[in-house]
Amino acid sequence: MNIYLDHIMPHPLASIEHGSDSIWGKHIILEAGKRIALNASSGKGKSTFTTVTTGVRFDYEGQIRYDEQDIRTISPSEWAQIRQSKIAVVFQDLQLFPKLTVGENLRLKNELTRSKTEKELHDMLERMGIGDKWEQQCGLLSMGQQQRVAIIRALTQPYSWLIMDEPFSHLDEGNTQIALQMIHERTVEQGAGFVLTTLGDLHGYEYDLELKL
Amino acid sequence: MLNKLLFKHQDKKQIIIAMIGSFLGITFLITSIHFLIRVNEFGQGNEILGPNTIIVQKKVTTSSTLGMTSTTFSEKEISKIKEESYIEDVKPVISNNFDVSFQTNDPLVPYFRSDVFIQTVDPSFLDVNTDDWNWKEGDTSVPIIMPRDILVMLNTFMSASGINQVSDDLAMKIKFKFTLSNETNKEWINAHIIGFTNEVSAVLVPESFMKYGNDKYSEGKEQKITQIMISGKENEFGKVEDLMTRKGLESKNSQMVVGRLKSIIGTLFFVVLGISVIAVFLSGLVMIQYLQLLISRNAYEVRTLLRIGYEPKILIKKFSYYFARIFAIVSIIGVGLFIPLKLIIDQVFQSGGIYIDTGFTLQSMIAVLLAYILFLVSAYLTARKGIFKEF
Repeated sequence: MNIYLDHIMPHPLASIEHGSDSIWGKHIILEAGKRIALNASSGKGKSTFTTVTTGVRFDYEGQIRYDEQDIRTISPSEWAQIRQSKIAVVFQDLQLFPKLTVGENLRLKNELTRSKTEKELHDMLERMGIGDKWEQQCGLLSMGQQQRVAIIRALTQPYSWLIMDEPFSHLDEGNTQIALQMIHERTVEQGAGFVLTTLGDLHGYEYDLELKL
Repeated sequence: MLNKLLFKHQDKKQIIIAMIGSFLGITFLITSIHFLIRVNEFGQGNEILGPNTIIVQKKVTTSSTLGMTSTTFSEKEISKIKEESYIEDVKPVISNNFDVSFQTNDPLVPYFRSDVFIQTVDPSFLDVNTDDWNWKEGDTSVPIIMPRDILVMLNTFMSASGINQVSDDLAMKIKFKFTLSNETNKEWINAHIIGFTNEVSAVLVPESFMKYGNDKYSEGKEQKITQIMISGKENEFGKVEDLMTRKGLESKNSQMVVGRLKSIIGTLFFVVLGISVIAVFLSGLVMIQYLQLLISRNAYEVRTLLRIGYEPKILIKKFSYYFARIFAIVSIIGVGLFIPLKLIIDQVFQSGGIYIDTGFTLQSMIAVLLAYILFLVSAYLTARKGIFKEF
């Protein structure tokens, strides 16, 4: 699935001056299967990019299309299907359920598609170094641990695109590399693509494309 | 898991208060509807006259005896009474203007004969099968409704004659005969009883038979209307009584007592019904408000669930189902509380000598079902609005 950004200008960013290499206001194609870094300093609209491309907000000029479909025409029920099987997201504020345990947070997502077994979920946590946190209430974890849970939650579902908003902002380099490796494997395994927004650090990963805001 | 996420961490005090209000409202709703129906049914079926119907006449006073005032009703007086808002209908009671006697005409019972007074009323006032209640010239037998006093008199006569007394059912199988006559003509017509009444003192006959007799044997005497039938609207008997006082009318006391009783109890339960409807409505409103509050308290959870791929209809169903269960519990408790309450009220009625039907009324259960459906629809619409607001 290609994502077309057709002269997108989010309303909150309309009054800001954008550089000539910024994607805002231009015709951009996020081609299926590409691994893309979206590099920008604070306040340039990284989170806005995440939310407008995933249909969370619609306060923008221009048109965003998934292949030929204008995402403004997608019904709530269709969005649910897309969010279950085509677009996975790691939000900057993580959007976990703090009163549920780590296991419950993952199960809640996995119940929608049943893509992973309980053992696979445990293994993913183990690989991320938080295997012992399954029964831990999410709200009591550190930000770094929560970030890893949010990444695993996004990886449990099948997707064509994985959109991540500064997913490693609270991770040390070691854990970042593990996470990045898991993201890479899962993305390649599905022939999918991802967009990773970052403040500048590319973590030594070879992206197919680097965009700026 | 969704239940834990959405409903576990909530302050249940408000919902418990709303539930208590609701089940009390439901209990009183069922109770008041049930007893409104039963009280209105009271007296029906036992009597041949329709419910809320009385026969009235003008009070005989010294001035009427001296001929200074009339005890008959004019057309104008009848139509004026009919205009009152609480009056369902008014019709004259037509009496015979010729000589009539009534006798047994059956080999199974001893001969008995008496001059009688016959009357006819509009069939709409009578609670009888209209197929049984008609007569035309040439028919072999006239259907009649017999004052129970006459049957008592007949039984007294039978007893004195050493013959077995007759029941209502048996009396309806006995053949009788009318003798219609004037100074020059005489005719015999068979008759059979189709019912009994405590409320009318004369033998009731179909209108066509009365017309036949009056045309053929009255010798042109003017038909005077001394009695009228008044049918009052449900639970407005007090106003009929007031009208009777104002117009100087009177009726058989038994008719008045039943009407007054039904009117008072009916009004009482009507007030309770009104209060119950308000209570159910208010507690329903509190519950719907609580649903709104619950969704807004769970706004983050709802929004996040939608963002990770949960369909709005799943969440709408969750909230609706949760409240459907709460209201089902409320309704079951309400119905459960109604049963002992009904037994107590039935006993109170019985100890006061009022034997109303003690069976359950379908309508009161339908009222609970309707309240439940109404609440379900409101809960669904509220949940739908709240969930889509977070999309």
